Amino acid sequence: MKLDPGFIYDAFLQLLSALPMTLLLTGVPAAGGLLIGTGVAFIRHYRVRGLHLIVAGYVAFIRGTPALMHLFLVYFGSPVIIDFFARKLGLDFNSASIPILYYVFLAFSLTAGAYLSEFIRAGLLAVDKGQVEAAYAVGMTALQAFRRIVLPQALAVSLPNMTNVVIGLLHGSTLAFTVTVLEVFGKANIVANQNWKYFEAFIAAAILYWGITILLETASARLEKRINRYHRGGVA
Amino acid sequence: MIQVRGLTKSYGKQKVLGHIDLQLQKGEVTAILGPSGSGKTTLLRCLNFLEKPNAGEIAIGDVTVNCKGAGKRDIHKLRQKTAMVFQNYHLFKHKTALENVMEGLVVVQKLLKADARARSQLMLDKVGLADKQDAYPSQLSGGQQQRVGIARALALNPEVVLFDEPTSALDPERVGEVLEVIRSIAREGITMIIVTHEMAFARDVSNHVVFMDDGAIVEEGPPQELFGSPKEERTRQFLKRMTQEWSYTI
Repeated sequence: MKLDPGFIYDAFLQLLSALPMTLLLTGVPAAGGLLIGTGVAFIRHYRVRGLHLIVAGYVAFIRGTPALMHLFLVYFGSPVIIDFFARKLGLDFNSASIPILYYVFLAFSLTAGAYLSEFIRAGLLAVDKGQVEAAYAVGMTALQAFRRIVLPQALAVSLPNMTNVVIGLLHGSTLAFTVTVLEVFGKANIVANQNWKYFEAFIAAAILYWGITILLETASARLEKRINRYHRGGVA
Repeated sequence: MIQVRGLTKSYGKQKVLGHIDLQLQKGEVTAILGPSGSGKTTLLRCLNFLEKPNAGEIAIGDVTVNCKGAGKRDIHKLRQKTAMVFQNYHLFKHKTALENVMEGLVVVQKLLKADARARSQLMLDKVGLADKQDAYPSQLSGGQQQRVGIARALALNPEVVLFDEPTSALDPERVGEVLEVIRSIAREGITMIIVTHEMAFARDVSNHVVFMDDGAIVEEGPPQELFGSPKEERTRQFLKRMTQEWSYTI
């Protein structure tokens, strides 16, 4: 078998049509995961009664099982649950009307949420208690102090780790291929099959993933620099 | 006016404050003195509920709170009557000096941004840091950070400013600049309670001195009286040790 360098370029162009789906599979779970992760971190940090053991279990389970497993559990499990409740409540609703993509979003968000929550929690621990007291002393409520003083600093601290999670999501989006969502990796498979040029197609896909990763890393480094402005300066 | 009645506080079985009664007049500068572990900082922190007292009553201005069963709303109201300057400054690290001062005005008192900014600039000017308004805490010296802390407290225009050992974390060269700022605002008739180990300063600035030991008030009175002719043996002992000139023989 001979390598056809020209086809790498052709394949690359064909893969671009699936790029929006890959970006969607990265962006939506990143946002969803951030929401879940912030909530979970908040609950665990403040030991919200009744909830913090439940969310601790969620984090332990997700971190203890592969992402592909979460995808399959949600993909095969949630229709059963949804239909069960629809029947119970007498609703005229069938899980088949829910696009597959939504299950993937949910599964990936749950995966990302658990990992992000751990990083956000570490960030929360990094903000000294004195600042919270100062916020209370100027008359802020607990929620105001969390939102205005603690969270911004916690997110700044955890930004490098969060970037890693987002890159993980980008690479993990390839798993959606297993439940027939057509993203870059799935597309590469099709292009490869149609032309019998597997190596070339996957090289093109690799270049595309690597390129986006580099873009993400650059953006994160810039954001980090901006967000951590307040750390500069020598005298303490 | 500030009135504390029957305030008690304990951590588990360990009693920290036992039945404190205290009454302070508006415009008065009160210094709280006492050895470490005597409960002076705890008393101060009880006044704005950074520590939750077990029992007693706190009245500041028109807000009266019964400590037992005090709800979130009571605590919130009480905190809006007070401001605090901390031993370790506790500035918001992700905000500039100006933003630190503005924060409470915008978020809590709901002032317009422009008004809050103008007021904050005035306060920074008052503590001699008008030129540092855009600096982050990490770019300021300890003394400068503490002065921002003072500006942040004053800007809120509280009924009383609570100072918790404001110079204890500073190196000796910076103590003077902070004391000077406190001295100048004391002259403006702002009600203040200062927990301090700076005896000369307490004597000089305050109108009222409270001496505490072992979770109780031992003696209180005007500074001339308390420093000049203390009635209690424990006070005499403490003052003697704190103010004596050290001499070393090598």
